[in-house]
Amino acid sequence: MTAAMSPASRGPIDEDVQELARTWSRPPGFWGWLTTTEHKSIAKRYIITAFTFFLLGGLEAATMRLQLGRPENSVVGPDLYNQLFTMHGTTMMFLFAVPVMIAMGLYFVPLMLGTRNVAFPRLNAFGYYTYLIGGAFLYISFFCNTGPDAGWFNYVPLSGPMFSPGKRIDVWAQTITFTEIAALVGAVEIIVTTFKHRAPGMSLNRIPLFVWAMVVMSFAIIFAMPAVATDSLFLALDRSIDTHIFNPAEGGDALLWQHMFWFFGHPEVYIIFIPALGMVSSIVATFTQRQVFGYTAMVLSLIATGFISFGLWVHHMFAEPIPVLGESFFTAASTMIAIPSGVQIFCWIATVWTGRPRFQTPLLFVLGFFVVFIIGGMTGVMVASVPFDLQATDTYFVVAHLHYVLIGGGVFPLFGAFYYWFPKITGRLLSERLGRWQFWLFFVGMHVTFFPMHTLGFHGMPRRIYTYLAVTGWGPLNLVASIGAVIIFVSVVLFLVNVAKSWRGGAVAGPNPWHGDTLEWATTSPPQSYNFARIPVVVGRGGLWETPDEQPVVGGLRTDTREVLLTTLLDAEPESVHELPTDSIWPFLLALCMGITFISSIFAPWGALVGLGLGFLPALGWAWPTKPPQPERISPERAS
Amino acid sequence: MTSSATSSRVPTMKPERVVRDVSNLPTIAFGSQSIAWWGTIGFMVIEGFTLALCAATYFYLRRNFSAWPPEQTPRPTLLIPIIQLGVMLVSIIPMYLAARAAYRLDRSGMLKWLLVEVVFKIVILVLRWYGFKALNTQWNSDAYGSIVWTTLGLHTTLLVIDAAEDIGLVIIILTKMRDRLFSDVTDDAIYWYFTVAAWVPLFFMLFLTPYVS
Amino acid sequence: MNSFCLVMAALAQPLPWIGEHSALDPSGTASKHVASLWWAMFWTSLVVYVIVMIALGYAAFRRRTNAPADATSSERLTPAPRSVHLTVGIATGVTVLILFIVVVTDFFTARAIATPATGAVHIKIIARQWWWYAVYSGDTVPQQQLSVANEIHVPVGKPIVFTLTSRDVIHSFWVPNLNGKTDAVPGYESNAWFRADTPGVYRGQCAEFCGLEHAKMAFTIVAESEEQYNKWYQAQLAPAVPTTDSLRSQGERVFMTGTCSSCHAIRGTGAGGTLGPELTHLASQRTIAAGTLQNTPDNLARWILDAQRIKPGAAMPSQELSSRDLNVLVAYLEGLR
Repeated sequence: MTAAMSPASRGPIDEDVQELARTWSRPPGFWGWLTTTEHKSIAKRYIITAFTFFLLGGLEAATMRLQLGRPENSVVGPDLYNQLFTMHGTTMMFLFAVPVMIAMGLYFVPLMLGTRNVAFPRLNAFGYYTYLIGGAFLYISFFCNTGPDAGWFNYVPLSGPMFSPGKRIDVWAQTITFTEIAALVGAVEIIVTTFKHRAPGMSLNRIPLFVWAMVVMSFAIIFAMPAVATDSLFLALDRSIDTHIFNPAEGGDALLWQHMFWFFGHPEVYIIFIPALGMVSSIVATFTQRQVFGYTAMVLSLIATGFISFGLWVHHMFAEPIPVLGESFFTAASTMIAIPSGVQIFCWIATVWTGRPRFQTPLLFVLGFFVVFIIGGMTGVMVASVPFDLQATDTYFVVAHLHYVLIGGGVFPLFGAFYYWFPKITGRLLSERLGRWQFWLFFVGMHVTFFPMHTLGFHGMPRRIYTYLAVTGWGPLNLVASIGAVIIFVSVVLFLVNVAKSWRGGAVAGPNPWHGDTLEWATTSPPQSYNFARIPVVVGRGGLWETPDEQPVVGGLRTDTREVLLTTLLDAEPESVHELPTDSIWPFLLALCMGITFISSIFAPWGALVGLGLGFLPALGWAWPTKPPQPERISPERAS
Repeated sequence: MTSSATSSRVPTMKPERVVRDVSNLPTIAFGSQSIAWWGTIGFMVIEGFTLALCAATYFYLRRNFSAWPPEQTPRPTLLIPIIQLGVMLVSIIPMYLAARAAYRLDRSGMLKWLLVEVVFKIVILVLRWYGFKALNTQWNSDAYGSIVWTTLGLHTTLLVIDAAEDIGLVIIILTKMRDRLFSDVTDDAIYWYFTVAAWVPLFFMLFLTPYVS
Repeated sequence: MNSFCLVMAALAQPLPWIGEHSALDPSGTASKHVASLWWAMFWTSLVVYVIVMIALGYAAFRRRTNAPADATSSERLTPAPRSVHLTVGIATGVTVLILFIVVVTDFFTARAIATPATGAVHIKIIARQWWWYAVYSGDTVPQQQLSVANEIHVPVGKPIVFTLTSRDVIHSFWVPNLNGKTDAVPGYESNAWFRADTPGVYRGQCAEFCGLEHAKMAFTIVAESEEQYNKWYQAQLAPAVPTTDSLRSQGERVFMTGTCSSCHAIRGTGAGGTLGPELTHLASQRTIAAGTLQNTPDNLARWILDAQRIKPGAAMPSQELSSRDLNVLVAYLEGLR
C-alpha cells in the first residue's frame, strides 16, 4: 500500500478498498451484531429504539387524551392515569428525545468530520446496551403495574418513602441511572471525536454548524446529567436505606429536590433543542443551496444558548417559597435566552432570502419549525415573568408551551432530518407525497391539540388531573384537543408507512441526492463500514461546494488495522494515528452486569456494591489486549 | 419533484487526489494527544461536578439546622482522617514516579512504582473505612448524617475505581505488556491527582467545618 | 338504578360557582394586574410574530430571477449583501429592546402584586391529601380563632393574607380569578394574598400534583360584604346546633357510636377526631369532598356510603350502614347549619 503524493487524480486502489472492507467488517450473524463497535450500526439501533419509545409515549398520550376528552370520563382511573402521564413524560424526555438526538450525532458527526468511527467505539456499544436495558426495565415494570406515578419530575415528598411506598419510584430512579450513563457516554464520544478526529484542514471555523450544535449539547449533558443522577441517588438512598436528605422532619429539604432536578431539567430541554437547531442549519443550507448566513453569530448563539440555559432553573419554582429578589435574576436570564435564538432565526431567514429554496419535505418541516417553535418561544418569554407565571405554571398553559417548543423546536426538525438523511442511511429516498401528507397532518394536528390548552390553562385547568367536573366548562376544548391527538396519530402512522415502503422500495438516492455541502455527502449511501476509502481534506467552510471538481484526500492510513487519523484541536493538522480496538462482547457484558447491579439495588441496597465490585471483571476483559504486540511509533513529545 | 435525485441522474463520486501522507505519524501519543487522556478528563469533570453538587447540598441543608453538627451529634474525630489525608498526599509521589518512568518508556520502573502505589491505595482504603466511623453519625440519623455519609461514600467510590485501575494495569503490564500502556499509566496518574485534589476541599468540608461553625 | 349511575348523576349536578373562574376574568386586584400584563405581552407577541412570519414568507416565496432548483456553485458561496447584515443587526437590536421592555414591565407588575406585610384577615392554610384546612387567626384572640375546611369566606375589598404549609406533600393554592398560585410545602411557610374586588363565589383547585386524588382537591372562596362576613364568622364560631327532634338524635347516636367521630370533630359534642374536616357547620357549606360534590342530602348519602368510588384513595372509607341508619345520619348532618 503506497501513499504517493500523486498529481494524477484517481480513486483508491481496489485492493486497498477490499482490505479496508475486511478490516472494518463485522463477523456474521447475531454474534457480529452483539459485538460490533461500528458507530452507524449502533446509532441506527439507538434511532430505532428511541423511535419505538416515541410510539409508546404517544400511545400513553393518546390514552390520556381519550380519558380527558369528556368530563368525568372513566376510560382509566386515577392510578393508571397517574402512571400514564409519568410514563409519557419519562419516556419522551429520557427514552426518546435525548437518545435520538445523541444518535443522530453518533451517526453523522464522524461522517461530517471525515473520520471512520467515534473516539471510543466499545464505550459507544456499552452506552447503547445500558440505554436499552434501562428502557426495557421501565416498561416491564409498567406492564407489571409497577410503573412510576409521581410525574416525570417526581417531586418529593410525594415520591419519598412515606408517600410512595412500594417500588414504583425506585423503578423511576434506576431508569434515570441507566439513561444518564448512556447520555454521558454519547456526550463524551461526540466531544472527543470532534476535538481529535477531524479531517485535516477542518479548523474550528470550518466545523459544520450541526457538529457545533452536537458539541454544545454534549457539554450541556456533561454538566446537567450529574445533577439528576445525584438527585435520584439521594432519593434512592432516602427510599432504601433511610437517609433523610429530603425529609423535613429530620432537617432534610423538600425544595432541594426541585433545585437539583431543575438544574438538570432546564438544560435538558436545551439538550433536546440545540441539536435540532443544528439540523435546521443543515437543512436550510442544503435546501437553499447557500451557506447559513452569519456563521460566527450562529456558533456564538449556540454556545450562548447552552451556557445561559444553566442559569434559568428557578423559573420552574416561582410558586415555591423562595426569595423574591432571586427570582428577578431568573426572569432576566429566562428572557435573555431568547436573544441568541432570535439571532439564529434571523440568520436562517437571511439564508432563505439569499438562497434558492426547494420546498421538499425536509424544508417543509423546517418551515413548520419556525411557525410552531416561535409561538412556543413567545409563551416562554411570557412565563419568564413571575406574576404571569404564578397564574400559568402547573396549568395547561404550560403544557401547551412545552409541547410547542419541544414538538416545534425538537420534533419538527427531527422529522425534517429523518427525511433529509434517510437516503444517506438507507440509500433510498422517502416518498415526497407521503412526506407532504405527513407534514400537513402533523402540523394541523399539533395546533388542534395544543393551542386550546393555552385557554384551558387560563380557565383554571391544572396539570396532571385524571378528570374534571363538567361545570368547570373545560369539556369542549378538551374534546378539540383530543381530536387533534387523533390527527397526530394518523400522521405518525403515515410516517411509519412511508418508512416501511421506502426502506427497500424507495427511489435510489446515490451519494448526494440533495447537493449538500457537508462531508457525509462525499461517500456512498449508505456509507461503507469504513465511511471513506480515504480521509478527505477540507479546504474551506463550504465543504464539498468548495471542491466541486476533485476531492483532496489523505494517504498513508493503514488498511489492515482499524487505524484513524488524529488531528490538532484548533487547526486540525494531522498529529498522530490511532488504532481503534476490535469488536468485543465485553461492553455488552459490562452493561448487563451494571444492569443487574442497579436493578437488584432496588430490592437489596448492598447489591449495588457487590455488583460494582463484580464489574471489575468485564472491565478487565474490555481492556485486555488481544492482538499480538506490534512495532509502534511512539510520539517524541512527552512530558518528563 | 426531486429533480436532482432520480436514479437516472445519480452523480458519481468525484475523482480524488492525495495531498497529505500520514504513514509516518506516531501511533502512540501522550497527554492531550492521546484519546484516553480525553476520556480521563471527561470522567474527572463528571465526577468532580457530582462531588461539587454534594458539597452544595451540604451547605444548603446546613441552613435547616441551628446547630451544626445537630444537637446530640458529636463533632467528627480528626485523627484518622488527618492521617488518611497525609497518606493520600504522600501517595502522589509513587504515582508521579510511575508516570515519570512511563514517559521514559521504562517498563520495570513503571511496574515497580505502580506496585508501591497499590499498597498505598489499600492502606488508604482501610483508613477510609475508619474515616466513616470518624464522622460520629449514622447515615440515617438526620439530614446531616445522610449528606456526610453520601458525600464520603461517593468519594470513596473514586478511591475504589482508582485502586481497581491500578491493579488492572499491573495485571496487564505483567501478562500482556503493550507500548500503549505507557500512555495509559500517565492517564491513570492524572486521575489519581484529581482524586486527591478533590479530597482536599471535601476533607475541610466534612471534618473541619463542624469545628468552625 | 345501580349506585354507579347515581354517583354519576350526582356528579353532573351544577355546582354553585359563578364567573368563569378564569384568570382572564379577574375579580381580584392582583389578578387584574396579571391580566393586563398578559394582554400587553399577547399583543406585543402577536405583532412580532406576524412580522417574523411575513419576513419568512417573503424570504421563502419571493420571486427570483431565473430560478432553477440548483444554484451554480459560485452563487452558493458568495457573501450576502450588506443590506442583509444590516437587517439582521437591526432585527437583533429591536429584539433586545423589546425583551428589555418586557422584563421591566414584569418587574413593575411583580412589585404591584407583592404580598402586603399585613392584611385585614390572616388565614393559615394547611394543605393535606386531598383537602384544605384553613385557620383564621382571629387577631390572635384564641376564642376568635376559627378553623374551617374547603370553603373560605372573606370580606370583599380587603387584602387577605395567607400563610401556607402542608401536612404531607407539596400542594398548590390557586384561585385563578383572584391571584396566581402559591405552593404549600412541608417544612416551609409560604405567603400568599389576594383582594377580591367583587363579591362572588370563586373556585380554586390544587395545582401541584399531590397523589392519587389531586384532580379532586378543589376549594371555594366566598367573597362577601363585611357585614355578611362577620355574620358568617360568628355563626361558624358557635358550637353545633343541638339536636331537638328524634330523627336527628338517632342520627347523632349513629355518628357518635360509629367510626365517624374517630376522624371528625363536631364542636359542642363529644366528637373530637382530627383526621378529617370538622363538621360542626357542615350544612352551611356549598360543596363536600373538597369541591367534588354539591352539598345535597343525596350527595351526602352517596359520599358516606361509597366515598371510595367517588374519590378512590381518599382517607374517607366507604361505610356499611343500613339505609335507615344512613337516612338519620344524613338528617343529623344536614341539620348542622
